[in-house]
Amino acid sequence: MSSPFTALLASLIRHRGVTGCMVVGASDGLIVDASLQTGVNGEAFAALSASLYRKAQRAARAAGFGEAGFFELDAERGHMCATGRNDLVLVVVSEPRLNVGLLRVEMLRALEAFA
Amino acid sequence: MRLAVAEQWVEAPLKRFVDEARVQLAVLLNPSGQVLGQFGFTSSVDVMTACALAAATTASSAELGRQVDGRPFSGMHYAGKTRQIFLGQVPVGAGSLILLTVFDDESSLGLVKLFFAELCANLPAAIPSRVPATPALAGDFERELNRNLAVMFGRA
Repeated sequence: MSSPFTALLASLIRHRGVTGCMVVGASDGLIVDASLQTGVNGEAFAALSASLYRKAQRAARAAGFGEAGFFELDAERGHMCATGRNDLVLVVVSEPRLNVGLLRVEMLRALEAFA
Repeated sequence: MRLAVAEQWVEAPLKRFVDEARVQLAVLLNPSGQVLGQFGFTSSVDVMTACALAAATTASSAELGRQVDGRPFSGMHYAGKTRQIFLGQVPVGAGSLILLTVFDDESSLGLVKLFFAELCANLPAAIPSRVPATPALAGDFERELNRNLAVMFGRA
């Protein structure tokens, strides 16, 4: 079953090092559409990353920085990047070898699909 | 707000659920409406009402699920303007328990479902073998209900 985000997710998952990408509801933390490699627990990841995204948004607003545009989480064995608009969050999970700069450009460009 | 339990084995899994899912209210009960543990309620009357409604709603939705899908629905969600309700069945042994929880935008349905799945995994491991799986007899029901509420609200 395809969604308006299928092509976007197919393009992101082709990036070297990307192991999963998904569009998640920011307020409910549920998956709207996803492209995940085996081993990524999509539902758990969606719920937790949406929660993190909401908290980052609130922190940015509380600090007077306005809306958070893009955030990246560096962990020992990988990255998580997220950006969002209109109550949707685009989340990408990847291995450490990812070219974050390139991915960031593509994710921000992809936000047009959320307008 | 503190967690109160009528059965000790409920405490750790329920506390973990409440802490992780960041819910405002939670009550764990058996299908006949007897409370086993609660978080966030300040009055025993509120707990009793919530348990009665949760047990009745679960019974109705389970039957509706059987009619529609050939098997009972395992969870139900209602989104209000500021607060949301999740009602789910926790399989334990041959039967099940019911969790009713209320949350606001500090949490999300995704988080609640995630930690509810964890609760479903943790509770059967915590349950002692001496706990009867059969529902309470009608004659014992009120006495048991009052005992549980008294334990939780410090009147035992």
